[in-house]
Amino acid sequence: MIHFDNVTKVYANQNRPALDHVSVDVDKGEFVFLVGPSGSGKSTFLRLVLKEERPNSGSIHVAGKDLSKLSNFKVPHLRRRIGCVFQDFRLLPNKNVYENVAFALEVIGKPRRFIRKVVPEVIELVGLEGKAHRMPEELSGGEQQRVAMARAFVNRPMILLADEPTGNIDPATSIGIMKVLDRINRTGTTVLMATHDAAIVDSMRKRVVELEDGKIVRDQSRGVYGQAY
Amino acid sequence: MRANFIFSEVWIGLRRNLTMTIAVIVTVAVGMALLGVGMMINSQVSKLTGYWTDKVEVSVYLCVKNSSFAACKSKSGVTQEEKANLKQTIEALPEVERVEFESQAEAYKKWQQQENNQTLLAVTKVEDMPESFRIKLKDPDKAAAVTSSLKGQPGVANVINERDLLDSVFGFMDKLRYMALGIAALMLIAATLLIGNTVRLSAYNRRRETGIMRLVGASNIYIQLPFVMEGLIAGLIGGVLSGVILIIVKVAIFESIQTYMAAPLGWDTVAGVITGTMAIGVLICVLASFVTLRRYLRV
Repeated sequence: MIHFDNVTKVYANQNRPALDHVSVDVDKGEFVFLVGPSGSGKSTFLRLVLKEERPNSGSIHVAGKDLSKLSNFKVPHLRRRIGCVFQDFRLLPNKNVYENVAFALEVIGKPRRFIRKVVPEVIELVGLEGKAHRMPEELSGGEQQRVAMARAFVNRPMILLADEPTGNIDPATSIGIMKVLDRINRTGTTVLMATHDAAIVDSMRKRVVELEDGKIVRDQSRGVYGQAY
Repeated sequence: MRANFIFSEVWIGLRRNLTMTIAVIVTVAVGMALLGVGMMINSQVSKLTGYWTDKVEVSVYLCVKNSSFAACKSKSGVTQEEKANLKQTIEALPEVERVEFESQAEAYKKWQQQENNQTLLAVTKVEDMPESFRIKLKDPDKAAAVTSSLKGQPGVANVINERDLLDSVFGFMDKLRYMALGIAALMLIAATLLIGNTVRLSAYNRRRETGIMRLVGASNIYIQLPFVMEGLIAGLIGGVLSGVILIIVKVAIFESIQTYMAAPLGWDTVAGVITGTMAIGVLICVLASFVTLRRYLRV
């Protein structure tokens, strides 16, 4: 599903590469934690999957497509198959829960009938039934992140990228978030989650890829966050 | 493509930058109106030029009794013999198409119709009016040769090429036209920059929305269209306003000077000018939005 082959990424005006000859394979339906300290290259990895950045060398395949051969014109179509969740939720403050989720479908031109059908389903999937007409400011951090996950998942993407989704949320609420991610993963969606949260990684017992200074230092199935932390 | 979604986005964008939108509309309206006035003057001038070029004559004024013209040496006025000689000379010139004689009575009649100064009308007698030969040229541009060969002939008081009088009027209108077009060009530059700025503000105001749109895979057109539409609508409203201004200009200025202008500017010309300026205004707005978007809205 995601295939990195010897990928190196150096940002302009920096001499140290953000990713240094990284090769990794993520299969369909896998749940992978991307761990490592700040600046180790986790976010760069996710941005490369989305083709927000281009690698300096190496090749990247996502959902069967060679990203270097994907024209800019087709990048939106790639992104429709990838859902994204961030630490800061990125909800639209002037739209309610339903509208926030529906927005993701409206802007890719889905018919209204389809939107009316799937949005309530996905709001229920993330555990927000009955809160569809709340505004984001009326929700707790955990609930806002559920809205963000609903929006990321509403178009049934093949891949879900989560960049520190529990970073702004207390540990008790984080468990609920992870349950939703696990539920999404069980529908067959590949989940790639970058995190600092050792407790969560340890409790989930999923594949762990550890980055340090842009290099993969560990790739372990059913791993833990790491002894050093 | 969901039209109502796009339009609600456009409406939000226009409302959020209301002051900038108004600035764009006013600039476009004034700029386009000036451009239109320039175009209207232009077509008025070419119409008049065509009309008058057919009519212009070289007038050879003959000496009256006690003429104050230095060319009239004898105080008794032009003699019959001199008149006959002149007629022959004129008809022999190769540039001349035809020549007509205007008697004092005819000249007086014409003058009476044009003059409305009562005192002048009261004191002027028929004998004060000069007789003249009215020469129609084959080619109005060749007047100089005719003028110079007839000046100084016995009995000739003065030779006037009417074209020279027209040229000074046309010259004035030309200046007006270039001024209007010059100001219009400046206004267009201002409008372009203003639209660029408005779109930039708009893009900044909505960076959250566009960021999410990008993330969920909205196509570039879908993301950019609301911004381009904002420019288009502002340009369209400005264009309509400029059309109104142009109609007022036509009614208030061009109609009132038509008494002096034999070839009036028709409404069909005005309609053409309005259509043209509106199209240019909208085009500039759309292009300016599009170019700015390329810079400020990374897709």
